[in-house]
Amino acid sequence: MNQINLKEIKSISYERAKIKNGYTDKSLRVNLDANDIIINPIEENIKNKFIGGKGYDLWLMWNAVKGSTRWNDPENAICISSGPLGGTPGYPGGGKSIVTSISPLTGAPIDSNVGGYFGPYKKFSGFDVIQVDGKAKKDTIIFIDGIENKIKIFEATDLPIDAYELSDVLTRHFDENKPVNVSVVTTGPGAANTFFGCLNFSWWDAGRKRVRYKQAGRGGIGTVFADKKVKAIVARCGTISMKSNNPADFEGLKLVTKSHSKEIKELDPKQNRMSLVGTTHLVPIMNDHDCLPVHNFKFGSHPQSRIIGEEVYEHIFDKGYDGCWKGCTVACSHGVKDFSPFTGPYRGQKVFVDGPEYETIAGCGSSLGIFDAHTILEINFYCDAYGLDTISVGTSIAFVMECFENNQITMDHTGGMDLSFGNRFNALEIIHQMARGEGFGAIVGKGIRQMKQIFAKDFGADAAFMQDIGMESKGLEFSEYMTKESLAQQGGYGLALKGPQHDEAWLIFLDMVHNFMPTFEDKAEALHWFPMFRTWFGLCGLCKLPWNDIVPEDNKDTLEPAKVTKHLGWYADFFSAVTGRKSGPDDLLAMSEGVYNFQRIFNLKMGYGTRKHDTLPYRAVGPVTVEEYESRQERYDEQLKEKYSLDISNMNSRDKVAALRQKRLEQYELLKDAVYERRGWNNNGIPTLATVKRLGIDFPEVLEVLKKNGVA
Amino acid sequence: MIEVDEKQMPWFPDMTVASVFETLDNVEFCSVVRLNGKLVSSPKFAETIIPDNSKIQLLPLVSGG
Repeated sequence: MNQINLKEIKSISYERAKIKNGYTDKSLRVNLDANDIIINPIEENIKNKFIGGKGYDLWLMWNAVKGSTRWNDPENAICISSGPLGGTPGYPGGGKSIVTSISPLTGAPIDSNVGGYFGPYKKFSGFDVIQVDGKAKKDTIIFIDGIENKIKIFEATDLPIDAYELSDVLTRHFDENKPVNVSVVTTGPGAANTFFGCLNFSWWDAGRKRVRYKQAGRGGIGTVFADKKVKAIVARCGTISMKSNNPADFEGLKLVTKSHSKEIKELDPKQNRMSLVGTTHLVPIMNDHDCLPVHNFKFGSHPQSRIIGEEVYEHIFDKGYDGCWKGCTVACSHGVKDFSPFTGPYRGQKVFVDGPEYETIAGCGSSLGIFDAHTILEINFYCDAYGLDTISVGTSIAFVMECFENNQITMDHTGGMDLSFGNRFNALEIIHQMARGEGFGAIVGKGIRQMKQIFAKDFGADAAFMQDIGMESKGLEFSEYMTKESLAQQGGYGLALKGPQHDEAWLIFLDMVHNFMPTFEDKAEALHWFPMFRTWFGLCGLCKLPWNDIVPEDNKDTLEPAKVTKHLGWYADFFSAVTGRKSGPDDLLAMSEGVYNFQRIFNLKMGYGTRKHDTLPYRAVGPVTVEEYESRQERYDEQLKEKYSLDISNMNSRDKVAALRQKRLEQYELLKDAVYERRGWNNNGIPTLATVKRLGIDFPEVLEVLKKNGVA
Repeated sequence: MIEVDEKQMPWFPDMTVASVFETLDNVEFCSVVRLNGKLVSSPKFAETIIPDNSKIQLLPLVSGG
């Protein structure tokens, strides 16, 4: 084991708050400028309005930052919360943490939902939410010891450089005899040298006797973490049971937990088989529906996609229990043991790779033209070890590859690397360069929005072309679904508060495949309901997969199968049983709506959050190039003739691309109008006064932000 | 005979996934099936021939992401 040196610079003892109905009603603030450790009560009205999880994070951040705060200012905070239902053993997906900060990529609040044991361990150590702000002068470790009831700040030296080793060393250091008591949040060297650093949240895999990891990937929170010189936050906690949350109705909690868990155990093997293949089943399904990003989202399918999907990974994944929370029956966090990288610092060694999931396969595989399961594993491994978000890494390199193939950049700019699609060695080399902050990789690590500016200014690249093909919105790189043929999913990405991540609304099948929302009003309703309900999972410390990735056998016979109403009822029962607040499904939506609108206004406070920020690169809307158009010519020709009643008999392909572009962009603007109206926002995408009053978020400082933006 | 979601159905030559769907109710949400363990998506329902003694599971894919 590595010898590490930790110098204690601050330590306090505290009286651990007794948990009642899922809450400790305490927050912990660690200020790294002064090494202050501050425990504050959480007031009842804040609990009622913000519920927990992302709601608590956003409220603390709102009070921590000014409108002018940038991501690397000391007052920017990293907040981590679980939520009142988080930490329920046996409830599927019941152990999530939600992390927020001001993003280096977007300049606005970012939130990321992640597994591992940290969130519950922190709560059962006495804190619903923690806030870390200020900047340390030296590498720092924060230790929350819920067994000894102490909080300590250490200066650390001689630590392993990457997250892969660091989490392991710290887990064993802080409880050598019982490592299952420890969960560690870390990042790696890539986080300090890029704008899309991720955080690794660990748990001890008792079966394999090793540390495992899940990632809070999106938006560069790892970069903020590294900028504050935080090397790790460690939580230590004793035995957890279903009584740890001190639920209001223990028998009710037992009943709903058993029901949901049993159903997943029975039905997952008949449905998506996530306990065997994780989310890799989505690769062939997305491919067959023309939704798998190939070559920077240019195409939606590729003949070789089958060799990077479930049929391959099912055989590669190590057998054993893979829940990222205690007793979760979805158990989709698979990994590969004894993998031997062929590049980089771990070349030739045997490592355990946590993953890959669908997003990593699509972003770092098909979108790069890399149809090789082992290369994808290697990219996955190094991104985690370096602390890099696989989605932003994949989408950014895909952009670079398309620029390279179109001569927007050349080997003169890339340091001699051929970055044609499919060049797996050079894709990996870029990632190693990102971790070191060197060479062309250092430029790629700035993200697509900044690359577009650098390529145009310094390399003479075509700014308009890059705007069309650079898959970012609000500064955040797209996650890995093709949206060209689903107007609703274009809204799902373009209108998402933090940028194009699918966790707000994933409507591709409902819209494009099933055609269940033909009108703008139908789409607007979906773009209201789904983001609101999905937000609720983040308020409560839950994973959304058990809601609609495994569904009841009779779900298809219900009035609204897309909502999986039986599970809505279970979630309402779950909330009622733990918190004692008797709630029905509609109440869950109401909880989310307040926080959702608050986050939109938070964006406004930071200088964003209006109509002009809800834009998309045209690649997300329709075919940018003649090549793309002609690859699906029959489909597009028919749309021009049938849907838009255009005479195309005298049009060449370039004319058709232009005509389709005009029509589709018009549709997207009409969609915005409909969604804003449904959400109670004005035509500029700002919540109206009536909306914030209805939702009870009409705090004076909220009204002040609205007034500054013409809403009074 | 074939088995669709654990229910027996008579098999006939040149049977496709699409032709099986024509005999089922409430399959609007089903855009993917597992045919003898392999995933088959709706764009390929009409061309995918079902062998005798096959097992088919209908995947209610409302999810993703």
